[in-house]
Amino acid sequence: MNPAVHLDGITKRFPGVVANDDVDLAVERGSVHALLGENGAGKTTLMNVLYGLYRPTEGTVRLDGEPRSFDSPRDAINAGVGMIHQHFMLVDPMTVWENVVLGNEPTTWGGLRVDREAAREAVVELSERYGFDVDPDATVADISVGEQQRVEILKALYRGADVLIMDEPTAVLTPQEVEELYGVFEELTDQGKTIIFISHKLGEALSAADDITVLRDGVNVGTVASADVTREELAEMMVGREVLMEPATTPQEPGDRVLEVTGLSVDDDRGVEAVSDLSFELRAGEVLGVAGVDGNGQSQLVDAVTGLREATAGEIRYRGESMVGESRRDRIDRGMAFIPEDRQERGLVMSYDLTENGILGSQHDAPFARSGRLDWGAARDHAESVIEQYDVRPPDADAEAESLSGGNQQKFIVGREFERDPELVVATHPTRGVDIGSTEFLHDRLLELRSQGKAVLLVSSKLDEVQGLSDRLAVMHEGEFTGVVDPATVTEEEIGLLMAGESLDDDSVEGAALHDAATGGPGDDPDGATAGEEGVDA
Amino acid sequence: MRNPLSSTRFMQGLFESDYVRSLVVGTVSVFGLLGLLGLLFPDSVAGDLARIVFSTSTATSTARLAAPIVLAGLGGIFAEKSGVINIGLEGLLIISAFVSVYAASVVGIGSAVLGVPAVAVGFLAGIAASTLLSAVFAVVCIEFKADQIIAGLAVWLIALGLAPFMSTVFFGGVNTPNLGSDATIGWGTSATLVILATAGSWWLLNRTAFGKHLRAAGENPKALDTVGVSVSKVRYAGVLLSGFLSGIGGSALALSIGQFVGAGETMVQGKGFIAIVAYLFGNYNPLGTLGAGALFAGLDAMQIRLQQLGYAVPDTLVQTIPYVMVIVVLTLVGRTQIPEAAGEHYETEE
Repeated sequence: MNPAVHLDGITKRFPGVVANDDVDLAVERGSVHALLGENGAGKTTLMNVLYGLYRPTEGTVRLDGEPRSFDSPRDAINAGVGMIHQHFMLVDPMTVWENVVLGNEPTTWGGLRVDREAAREAVVELSERYGFDVDPDATVADISVGEQQRVEILKALYRGADVLIMDEPTAVLTPQEVEELYGVFEELTDQGKTIIFISHKLGEALSAADDITVLRDGVNVGTVASADVTREELAEMMVGREVLMEPATTPQEPGDRVLEVTGLSVDDDRGVEAVSDLSFELRAGEVLGVAGVDGNGQSQLVDAVTGLREATAGEIRYRGESMVGESRRDRIDRGMAFIPEDRQERGLVMSYDLTENGILGSQHDAPFARSGRLDWGAARDHAESVIEQYDVRPPDADAEAESLSGGNQQKFIVGREFERDPELVVATHPTRGVDIGSTEFLHDRLLELRSQGKAVLLVSSKLDEVQGLSDRLAVMHEGEFTGVVDPATVTEEEIGLLMAGESLDDDSVEGAALHDAATGGPGDDPDGATAGEEGVDA
Repeated sequence: MRNPLSSTRFMQGLFESDYVRSLVVGTVSVFGLLGLLGLLFPDSVAGDLARIVFSTSTATSTARLAAPIVLAGLGGIFAEKSGVINIGLEGLLIISAFVSVYAASVVGIGSAVLGVPAVAVGFLAGIAASTLLSAVFAVVCIEFKADQIIAGLAVWLIALGLAPFMSTVFFGGVNTPNLGSDATIGWGTSATLVILATAGSWWLLNRTAFGKHLRAAGENPKALDTVGVSVSKVRYAGVLLSGFLSGIGGSALALSIGQFVGAGETMVQGKGFIAIVAYLFGNYNPLGTLGAGALFAGLDAMQIRLQQLGYAVPDTLVQTIPYVMVIVVLTLVGRTQIPEAAGEHYETEE
């Protein structure tokens, strides 16, 4: 039997660049195939060829053995190839069914009326067949990201897609939604659909795919069955050299107390309490990891610590001083670095070039500010040094932030914040969207800061990241720490339980850990405790 | 399973939101209160007001004045929903008002072309002129990606200059001569056109595939593009519809009195801008636009009658009412939903 998709010797050249070089790819019907590679390895280009967005310079696309030539995505859709983009192509104020049938609406009365009953029926039938739990009448803006992704899949299925291409499908999902997505994969492949997904995450390729093809610099490095390969082997295929999967942490004696949080409560944008009566401390030379499903108060905790959001109760002390009422600028001046969750909203000004972005937060300070004027030469040197050290591509200080890929934007922000010479680094998802070669580097830098005696508050949804880097790991659920555990000894199952809001069976373990982190801090510092209570009253 | 498309849902769709409903209820109760007060105290100010509000002459002139506001407003909805903000509605009204009178006079009142009477020829010519001008606007905005606000202002300024100029060339003055009562359309025709256009627009926006595409083009053009519908075509259609509807409005305005007045701000007198206010006030819903347009036209009609009764209400003050109201409403309600991608150019990646 012919493979459902066969890319035969695809070469795609852009002026000055070979994005794909003689790539072969065969995907069996009813299988899940991962296309793995680092940023810029040519994964997306290859899929754009399959999806009809690009014409290959050389090579043939075969579907079920038939050579095909697509002039546009429209042709690809007609041939049964559907694409689900990383950024969803949905119209937010419209309903689910309206989005699914958009552009292919069934009509009655000679085209004068959209046949809503038929459209709705078709959507209900499709979602039932594949076990999707989506309300066809819900407005897209009101449903979760995971549901929106299912709407995108329904859109492709409604158009008769047999082969589904998904670009980084888990990038925007919570761990639960990722699990649900894997379930969706199974439903789809059971019914003969073929799935190709683009990824740079080893774990997801290993757990979701039947076969994995690794691309590096536009070349197919090899196709392997996911059952026959280890993480380390895959990482080596991707990067082209051996990669240390486990960051090398060395035990270190924590120093002075840098951050002290007592009885902190914070509301979210809707006025609902997102962080409830949280207490912990963070010492110099220590990394405190915060794990948890996104949306359990991590963002609000970080906002409160960095001064972007006012706490409703409690106190934050930084190097012994209360931070209540202190502005962002004060915190920056006192050595607090911040890697925000949303790099495009808060990390960078997208229309500024890297020289300008590089001094954000330090624009008042020497050597950039001199007698009320900005020294652009110094700013440029600074940007160039960050670009060089953190391998930001393209290495051009004049490039606008928005022209960089997400991973490179992230590397630039991390570089800027680390080079601030901070006392405390608040890092939220520091390696989100960054390929593994660079991730390794960023992790090393983070640990280097730790060994220099800096304190790090690390929030990440990547479990292996927080587990590998932290000295202590706090698991957050509904605004509270359900446990503070030793990352070296805790198991993934235990973390999973804590993330779901359950306490560990062994009460004494949890109790001890919590005591160490929460009550232990203020306990041996009576002044701190008193100040904390005052904060609550205020 | 319960039929989800039951009549309550249909009504919900009709009013779309509490916003439009409260608008309707509010207007009806204000008029109800006024009528009641007028009946109880016939000699008071309220009595005078009630007599004016409920007089036939106010009703007919409201219909006449509402036509350009509502029709241009409906046109504005189509353009803006598709993602192109058309603030040149005023210009479209002016050009169609002039051309309709000019074409009718060229044919000659009482004559006909191919059996079509002069007034109808004028009407169609007015629509054609407005549609043509909107086509120029569309090309400039969509094809050449000009700033929509600047291009819209240009449409207004071109019409504002061109119509009185052509009137001077052809008729020797900025005002055309009055073509006489044989050359006019009645208020009933205006009212019918307004109601038909409102109903038709509502259907087109809410029930047809084109309506869905229009909405997608204004909210997330990329989503529309990736499912294989041309964003440009949908936007052209939206802008041309704004020209077509404004053309009906402008022609109806001029032909309701049989003359084009080109002095000052011309006879259109800012109705194209009030139209923008009307559709924003109506939250992009044709029914809301009809209500808002009728309200503004009614205030205008009342103001004329009030002056006849000797109440010295300056018309310039009355004319600010719509604008003041929209600011009040936007401040208090703040719920009109501007399409996400309105005013942004779209370039397909292929």
